[in-house]
Amino acid sequence: MEERERQFVLKGFSGYYRRATVEVPSVEQREFGIGGFDRKIEARHMAFESNAALQNYLIHDTPLYISHSVAYYKFPKATPMENKGWMGGDLIFDLDVHGGLFLSKEEQEKVRQDAIRLVEDFLLLDFGVKKEQVKTVFSGNRGYHIHVRDPSYRMLEGDARREISDYISGKGLDYRSFFNQNEKWKLYGPKESDWGYRGRFYRMAAKILEENPAAIHRRLLKPEEAALLKEGMRTGLWSKTSIKDIVDRMEVVAKMLPVQCIEVDTGVTIDTKRLIRVPNTLHGSTGLAAKEIPSLDEFEPYRDAIAFGQGQTKIEALQDIPAQEFLNSTMEKMENGKSKEVPLAYAMYLILKGAARLS
Amino acid sequence: MELNDEMMERAVQRVVAALKGEQGASYRIHPSDELLELGSYAAARMMLAHLRNRFLINKFAVAEAKRASSLMRSESEGNLKRLGEELGITPQEFEGRLALPVYQYASFSPRSVDYRLIFRNVKNGFVEVNKHEVIRLMEEAVKGRMENYKPLQNPPQIIRDYSKKLMVLVPKETVLKMSFKEGDNPPCIEKLLEGAKAHQNLNHQARLVLAIYLLARNVPVEKVQAIFSNLPDYEERKTKYQLDHIIKRGYSMPSCATLLSYGLCVADCRIGTPLRWKGKVGPWKKGKGSSS
Repeated sequence: MEERERQFVLKGFSGYYRRATVEVPSVEQREFGIGGFDRKIEARHMAFESNAALQNYLIHDTPLYISHSVAYYKFPKATPMENKGWMGGDLIFDLDVHGGLFLSKEEQEKVRQDAIRLVEDFLLLDFGVKKEQVKTVFSGNRGYHIHVRDPSYRMLEGDARREISDYISGKGLDYRSFFNQNEKWKLYGPKESDWGYRGRFYRMAAKILEENPAAIHRRLLKPEEAALLKEGMRTGLWSKTSIKDIVDRMEVVAKMLPVQCIEVDTGVTIDTKRLIRVPNTLHGSTGLAAKEIPSLDEFEPYRDAIAFGQGQTKIEALQDIPAQEFLNSTMEKMENGKSKEVPLAYAMYLILKGAARLS
Repeated sequence: MELNDEMMERAVQRVVAALKGEQGASYRIHPSDELLELGSYAAARMMLAHLRNRFLINKFAVAEAKRASSLMRSESEGNLKRLGEELGITPQEFEGRLALPVYQYASFSPRSVDYRLIFRNVKNGFVEVNKHEVIRLMEEAVKGRMENYKPLQNPPQIIRDYSKKLMVLVPKETVLKMSFKEGDNPPCIEKLLEGAKAHQNLNHQARLVLAIYLLARNVPVEKVQAIFSNLPDYEERKTKYQLDHIIKRGYSMPSCATLLSYGLCVADCRIGTPLRWKGKVGPWKKGKGSSS
C-alpha cells in the first residue's frame, strides 16, 4: 500500500476512535498488542492503566489492529511471559469462514447461525453460563469472537479448555462410545433422561424411529417391533429390540450428529495467553468495526459493522471487483483499472483488502 | 512443629517407597503417630522442593495421590465432602443426580477416553458423575497439588542434610535419549514424548499409542522401555510384559480419528495415521499470533 493510502486509512481510523467508545473490562490487567500494515501483531507486552488512556492512544497513535490478552495479569507489561503473573483468562471461541474477498450471504448466514447455536445450545444450555457473562463480538472480518467472562471458567488451563472446545466442535465424537454391553449381553445406550450429546443422540434416534423407521431397519415397520425399540431406548436398555446389530444400524443417526457440532478454532480457545481483537476497535484488513453485538438475530456485518459515515471517495480498482451488498445497497461491480466514486466505508474496505487505491 | 531426625528418616522412607512404586500405609494411623506422619510428609515435600527434581516430584505425587485415594474410599461422607472442598471438587445434586460443575470436571478429569467430556452427560453447567469418579478426580487433584512445588529458598540445614542422603538412595535417573530430530514425529507423538521426558503420568491410551508408534518406527524395545522408565508409576516387569504383548499381537497403529477420540490429537495434520507424518502440519492450520 502506498503512503497516500496509508495516510488516508490512518486518518479515517483516528477519526473513528474520536467518535467511538472503546472499553475493556479490567483494562489495567490486560496485555495489549498492536499491528500495522505489515503484520497483525507488530508489538505486544503493552499495557494501559485505564480505558481513557487506551482511547487516547487509539486517537493519537492509531494502530491498524489492536488486541488484548484473554488473560488477566498482575504485571501485564512484564517479559518474559512467566513474569506477568497469570491470574486466569476469559474463555474465548473463534468462529471463522474461509472464503473469497467478500463473504456470500450464505457464508455470512452459516457463521451467524453457528454463533447463535454456540451461545444458546452449548454455552447457556450445556455449560450453564449466564447470558450476561457472554459477549458476542463481530471479528471485524469473517466471523465472530465469543468472550465468556464467567469467573468459574477463568482459571481453566489449556487442557481443560481443549475438552470444552472439543465438546463444542464434536472432535472425536464416536457414537459407539455411547453404548456398552455387559457380560449378560445386555446392551445399554443413550436414554430419554440423558443430557449432552447422549441426549441429542437419543432425541434424533427417537425422531427417526417416529418418522422413518425403515431408515434404521425394515423390521421396524412392524408397530410391535418399533414399540420394543422405543421402550428400550427410553430406558436405555437397547437390547430389548430383537435387531442384533442395532448399534451398527444407528449409523444413520450418527451421521446427523456432526450437524449439531460447531467448528471453533481450538488453537484460540486453548491458548490462555492469546491476544484477541479489542471489541469495538477497527479491523485493519477491512475497516469494519469489531462490534460487540447485543443480539445476533438481525446482525449483518456489511450493514451493521460500518465504521465510516457520509461522504464519497474516488477509487481505482486494482482487480475486478464483483458486485457486493454493502451499506444496505448493491455496490456495482468494477473492472480492473476503472475509477469510480464510492461510499467512504466501501473505499476503505477495498483499499485495505488491496483491491483498490485512491484515484 | 519442629522437624527432627525421626521425621526426616520417615520422610526419606516415604520418597524411596514412592520410587519403588509402593504406596505406603493406606490404613488409618494411630493418633500417637499422627504428628510423625504429618511432619514426615511436610519434610518430604520440603526436600523435593529443595531438590527440584522433576522425576522425584512426579513419582512422589503419583504415590501420594494413590495413597490418598485408597484412604478416601473408606472415608465418611462428611470427611470426603470437606476434603473435596479443600481440593476444589464439590459434587452436588442436580436434577436428582450426582454432578460436578463443568469447570471442576474439566480441570481434574483424568486424560482418558472414559472421562472425555464429549461422552458425558452435560447440562446447565454440570457433568453427571458417580462416587467412584469423584474420588478418581480428587486423586488427580491431589496429584496436581503435589506436582506444583514452589522452589524452597533457604531450607533449614536438616532438610539440606537429609536431601543429600536421599539422593544417595535414588537410582541414577534414566536419561531419555532419542535418535529423533525435531520434526521427525507428528505433533501428537512429540507431545507424548515431551510428557515422558517431563516425567508426566501418561494415561493408558497414551502409553499404548506411543509404544505402538515407536515399535512401528523400529525403535528397539529396550529403548522404548527406557522411555517408559521416565513415567512416575513405571514398573519394569509390567512394562516389559505389555511391550512384548504389543509385539506378539502385532497391534496396528491407531488412526488419527482414534487418537482424536482418545483426546490425544493436538494438530490438524490430515494424515490419517501418525505413521504417515511427512514433517510438517499443512498450510491450512498455521499458528496465529492473534485471531482474525
